Amino acid sequence: MALPPNVSEEDFASALAGFAQAVGDEWVFSSDEDVALYRDSYSIYWGEPEERVASAAVAPATVEEVQQIVRVANRYRIPIYPISTGRNLTYGGAAPTLSGSVVVDLKRMNRVLEVDEDRHFALVEPGVSYFDLYNYIQERGLNVMLDVPDPGWGSPIGNSLDHGCGYTMAPFRDHFGSGCGIEFVAADGEIVRTGTGAMPGSDTWQDYRYGVGPTIDGLLAQSNFGIVTKMGFWLMPMPETFLTGTVTVPRYRDFDALVKEVSYLEDSFLTGMPSFGSPAAGGGFGQAPAQVAELMQDGWPSVERLEEFVSAQGRPAWSVELRFYGPEEVVRASWEAAQRRFRDRIAGASFEDGDFWRLPLSAEELAVNPRKPLLGVPALEIFAMMARNPQTNDAPLEGHADLFAFVPRKAEAVHEAARAMSETYNEFGLPPTHHPFTTPINFYSRAFIVAAFVPTWRDAARNAQSRALFSRLIDRCAEHGWIIYRTSPAFQDQVVSKLSYNNNSLLRFEEKLKDGIDPNGIISPGRYGIWPAGLRSGRA
Amino acid sequence: MRVAIIAAGLTILMTAAPGQNTPSAENGKVVFDKWCTPCHGAVAPPRGFSAGALPGTSALQVKYNGELPPVLEERTDLVPEFIETVVRGGLFGMPITRKTEVSASELEDIIAYLTRNNN
Repeated sequence: MALPPNVSEEDFASALAGFAQAVGDEWVFSSDEDVALYRDSYSIYWGEPEERVASAAVAPATVEEVQQIVRVANRYRIPIYPISTGRNLTYGGAAPTLSGSVVVDLKRMNRVLEVDEDRHFALVEPGVSYFDLYNYIQERGLNVMLDVPDPGWGSPIGNSLDHGCGYTMAPFRDHFGSGCGIEFVAADGEIVRTGTGAMPGSDTWQDYRYGVGPTIDGLLAQSNFGIVTKMGFWLMPMPETFLTGTVTVPRYRDFDALVKEVSYLEDSFLTGMPSFGSPAAGGGFGQAPAQVAELMQDGWPSVERLEEFVSAQGRPAWSVELRFYGPEEVVRASWEAAQRRFRDRIAGASFEDGDFWRLPLSAEELAVNPRKPLLGVPALEIFAMMARNPQTNDAPLEGHADLFAFVPRKAEAVHEAARAMSETYNEFGLPPTHHPFTTPINFYSRAFIVAAFVPTWRDAARNAQSRALFSRLIDRCAEHGWIIYRTSPAFQDQVVSKLSYNNNSLLRFEEKLKDGIDPNGIISPGRYGIWPAGLRSGRA
Repeated sequence: MRVAIIAAGLTILMTAAPGQNTPSAENGKVVFDKWCTPCHGAVAPPRGFSAGALPGTSALQVKYNGELPPVLEERTDLVPEFIETVVRGGLFGMPITRKTEVSASELEDIIAYLTRNNN
């Protein structure tokens, strides 16, 4: 049996007995077979000594049981690592940051506590998945729409605490930003409620997030200052209709004006998440098409060369799909207004109507609808992108590590990021996945994401190459000032080390908080670079 | 890795441990619908092999190329040990499933459901 660092076998056995007293024998997992279920399925260190693995797991069903677990962990100095649904794949899954930690598996805390269809909010526990919350809403016919990330098995709480994003309107796509009101168990076992939840008798916990005094909710995200046991979320009222329209612009240089106009519409709440593409390049996302790869053989092409390429293809350089939510009169008017604005600003812009659906769609309609996440409907269909397909039949992917670099919403920044990533792939002798027509992703409305998807395997040699590439990409991005907003424990220290303003004063401030709030360093040691004092010297 | 174990003619007898209920194919369908159909369902949205297809069903369609049904519920050759290995260990992009998600008895129910028509 693996042991937590600096914990004797005797103390560990006593701690497990204490956990069992708290939750019942059935919900303490310590056999090798059961602990293996807490491995990160997509670990970039799979099967190697550096793979982050648990020593045991304990699954509470109530906040009182969480309190007892925290007290036992303090008594025996056991590092504990809370997970919600444990499906944070590519970002660590169910595995802890520090090997030997005991995973606190909150999946059994799976109650939807409230959904208010008039004030448009939900209050849930961490084990609730997007599927669960969606089903709860459907069964009751409530008039609200979720904003979901691609994998529906994730937890609204877990996803928001890792700064996950979705697909609908800007205020809801930012899942932590749409949170309102948190309950957490602090490292000393006390229950704390943020915002107006701190006032007995208040009925605005999920309406007004600030309460009075400092707002500490942010301390619970990508961190290790407490175990969140309840969280509220603002929801969008169910829109009457959904409409899409695509704008295309002819020239390579038009991307600059296209981006500026899309930002105007986004920040005016006149469109949902826009989706950019490049008809001339045959896509804009993923591995460079053959004709684009050929174009790059002699290095990064000049803008003049790119304009020639676009002309030769006979297709528009860029496209963007806009998505509108609301009453039919409003979405049609929004699309009309958007077309007018593009027409006035970009010569040769053209337009194509897309989908128009009255919401909510029936279950039968949704079953065959490939755009579920745009409609706030949880699914797992995104995994088809990595599943076995005719091209990968011999060696399907076994996992992936996603690197999302946040860059300014400017055309030149997107091209610069694509070039930096392309050069990094070249260093490793890999085919270009980034090119002059690489398009950004708008999960988060106020910044662009330029993404790299690095494969992971259950094979050490191939993972070594993936790690080297991923690490080099982090360094390259940092040289340009592009932050990696979220990553697996394998890279958290490296990513956080780039926040070096004033001798890493932000991290040093967080460490002071950690020492004061969690003096025994029991909660998620090392998560996002925040190590307790006793383990700080060992950090990367 | 060979993932298909063809067990033509093999009769699988599910035995219940003392004190446990006999596995229920009926409940197995309920658990399967909740945990498995989002990837392994029978109704695939029309998106080929990109996002929008059902990942498990489309992957098995490629793998078997008509030799076996890509929809798990239509199979008659699945072996209990293999189902357990894949659910608990994951396979390719399919991740590990923990006991707090699908309990040991629920997994037995899934197995009873998926092997109900075995030859």
